[in-house]
Amino acid sequence: MRRLEELRAEFDQRGVQVVTVSTDSPDDIAAERHLHGLQAVMLSDVQLTVTDAFGLRNTGFHSAPLSHESVALPVPATLLVDAEGRVLWLDLSKDYQRRSDPAVVLAAMREHFDTLR
Amino acid sequence: MKAGTKLGLLAFVLAVGAALVWFRMTRLVSLPDDRSVLVVVFLAAAAMGVVAYFKGTSLLGGVPPAAAIVMGLFLPFTIAVSKQTVEVDKVIALGDSIPHFSALDASGELFDSDVLHGHLVLIKFFRAHW
Repeated sequence: MRRLEELRAEFDQRGVQVVTVSTDSPDDIAAERHLHGLQAVMLSDVQLTVTDAFGLRNTGFHSAPLSHESVALPVPATLLVDAEGRVLWLDLSKDYQRRSDPAVVLAAMREHFDTLR
Repeated sequence: MKAGTKLGLLAFVLAVGAALVWFRMTRLVSLPDDRSVLVVVFLAAAAMGVVAYFKGTSLLGGVPPAAAIVMGLFLPFTIAVSKQTVEVDKVIALGDSIPHFSALDASGELFDSDVLHGHLVLIKFFRAHW
């Protein structure tokens, strides 16, 4: 999350809304926010309803501690969505212990967002 | 100090050191794709722990090699089994419209995805804060 916040200027310049979805409870999200300082809508998806709507439930076995009542995890993924709600770019992490690098996200924004106008 | 006790302590230090590197990389989300070096170090620590017993340890000296064996085997095990799978035909595709969704935000307010309409959006799914 801290890594993502490195792109703050790039988000602001393009008017990009940042939304995160995790299996943390709202309390956990609020408690962690000061650690990463990310300015984003951070959603709690304990039941994985949002994750399932996007088809991003990790059905494989994982060794990670489960957070609270959550029974499974999303696959780490980053999506870029245009103003009409269409998916322009989708990056699925191969490994739940890894996430999209900011440089990769920035390159994708340049390629997909900056060519829109 | 018995030879096995010394080797057991060394195995323990090696396993703890590798585990610290491991957790630090996890924390920074910078685990490399190729983790074979870490796996080798963990397994070496476990092997040294086993050898320590054969060399003979004192009663108290038997604890570090046991810890080294557990850590040395457990972490490579988690790497080996932590393959993630998604049902590919269910994953949202490029060009698809995102589904409508609502969820609680950090302040416990209900967020509705309709407010995203008209905005460029980055949506990030991640496991949890740990």
